[in-house]
Amino acid sequence: MFKVFAFLKRNTRLLTHDEYRAGHVGYHCGQSRRLKDIRGYLVNIWSNTPFADRIGTDLYEQITRNEPRDFLDWWDGFPEVYFDNQKAWLNAANAEPNRATADGLVADPDWSMADGPVLFDPVPDRPGEFKPCHLLMHEHILIPVERQEHKSFKLMQFFKHKPNISNDQVLADYAAAASKLPGMNGCILNFRDPDQAAAMRGFYGDDTWGLSDEGIDHRARFCAMWDGAIEYHFTHSNDFVAARRTLHNELSNLESEFFDSVWYVEVDENLIVMPNRNPAPNYYFR
Amino acid sequence: MLKVFGFVKRNPRLTHDEYRAGHVGYHNSFGRRLNNIRGYLLNVASNRKITDSLGADIVDQLTVNEPTEFDEQWDGWGQLMFDRMEDYVGARSPARDRAGPNGLETDTMVAKVGDDFNQLYAGSPFQFQVDEHIAMSVRRPERKLFKLAQFVKKPASLETELFRAYLTGRYATLAATMPGLRGMIVNVRTNLDVMSEFFAEDAEGFTPEGISRREAFYSGWDALIEYWFDEPEQFSSARLSPGFEQLREFESAFFSAVFYREVDETVAVLPKRNTPPPFYHR
Repeated sequence: MFKVFAFLKRNTRLLTHDEYRAGHVGYHCGQSRRLKDIRGYLVNIWSNTPFADRIGTDLYEQITRNEPRDFLDWWDGFPEVYFDNQKAWLNAANAEPNRATADGLVADPDWSMADGPVLFDPVPDRPGEFKPCHLLMHEHILIPVERQEHKSFKLMQFFKHKPNISNDQVLADYAAAASKLPGMNGCILNFRDPDQAAAMRGFYGDDTWGLSDEGIDHRARFCAMWDGAIEYHFTHSNDFVAARRTLHNELSNLESEFFDSVWYVEVDENLIVMPNRNPAPNYYFR
Repeated sequence: MLKVFGFVKRNPRLTHDEYRAGHVGYHNSFGRRLNNIRGYLLNVASNRKITDSLGADIVDQLTVNEPTEFDEQWDGWGQLMFDRMEDYVGARSPARDRAGPNGLETDTMVAKVGDDFNQLYAGSPFQFQVDEHIAMSVRRPERKLFKLAQFVKKPASLETELFRAYLTGRYATLAATMPGLRGMIVNVRTNLDVMSEFFAEDAEGFTPEGISRREAFYSGWDALIEYWFDEPEQFSSARLSPGFEQLREFESAFFSAVFYREVDETVAVLPKRNTPPPFYHR
């Protein structure tokens, strides 16, 4: 699938982190869940509880290496969106009929994502624009995700591998070990596409901030911090702690060997459109 | 939890697939923003006949006293979940979930759930509370599942409480062992009034015609069992196997009607049965 992580910083002048949650998951997703042919849509927002508090300082210090100090200043949330291919992604903003009216089913005239600049980090000298950081990701499903009917514990493990280590090595060795963590409800490894504009070009206009020198530089500085991220789904944080302890030495050794930096962010996952990896049905479906 | 079903018939100016798009698209986009909602599923009647998904022979064997013109009375049903009746009644109020130039603002359109009822539906939803029994907790993979609805009517001579006790006992316990099952929930319709404070006083559902329409629909069944499988063959083969013959025996004794429909489930808000976090979450 064509999978995009879209890192978004809130409009700090107008919104607290929790207000941003409501604005993004509420109104904004009410619009964006109707993107044409979207096949899956999750919104991950960093937890209000610091990860060290969640799992305990000792374990936190043992499993974290060279965490960027200001990583969470770059974003408040990141949607994961899934499309069948790049063409579908580029056509996603085309309105399609999904509103019943006195004239039958029509394209919703009120459909709009114009709240972007008040919800997200605005570009000061470009009215109507915000700062998107949409990145194409290549996923490897280590454990297929299954969601139960309760809020789960979702953890993002960001990593930057050493210059002599390839993605293939991470996949072959580290992912193989990490996928043995017991008690997971799902585990997906994502490598960032080397083309940092792959999910921007064509989706945003060539003259927009995201493809300007400033936008390119912003993305480059953010991407310099990490090469990939693993999504871990557990029922509870205690399950992660217990699981990690069972494989701690093996994973720590691999992390020392493979990664210049590795750190974790707990996120609150909001399910907007259940990812459907089966072929799309021949009718409107979310 | 307070679990409310609302069966709806599409507005006749829409085809079934147009209704889908209008309900799943625009309408659900507001419904998922209802204040304090804890779960929201939409089930749309499949375009595939149940005989095509399960097989004509087994449908013929398992069906008893299916109401006539059942499919003419609905196109889909929504399932709303709230912690309390107060949350459900208060859900249709403006939601503070929209960023604006002055910060987070209140959106009155949520109180109207998009204000498309008259264009999307033919009359009021048949809205009722269900008493649910989770025979197997649902685990949804990242793909479209086969969701089966089993409609069941109790014999007139059997008390409602006994019907529920029997249904959720031996029957559900055995049915929940069907190989490949990903979830099973038994829902018994109750008489709790969940319409008066949720719909306007002049809604079609409160007219004599509306009440008659609803009661006619309710007369065909008393409980609805949700099953989730990867494929319909898993249900069919299980029900044909000797290990599940006792289900047929139970049905003969305690169901006066039983029939099935396939539905396409949209998870507008993944149900959350644990304590809600102290922030906006869907």
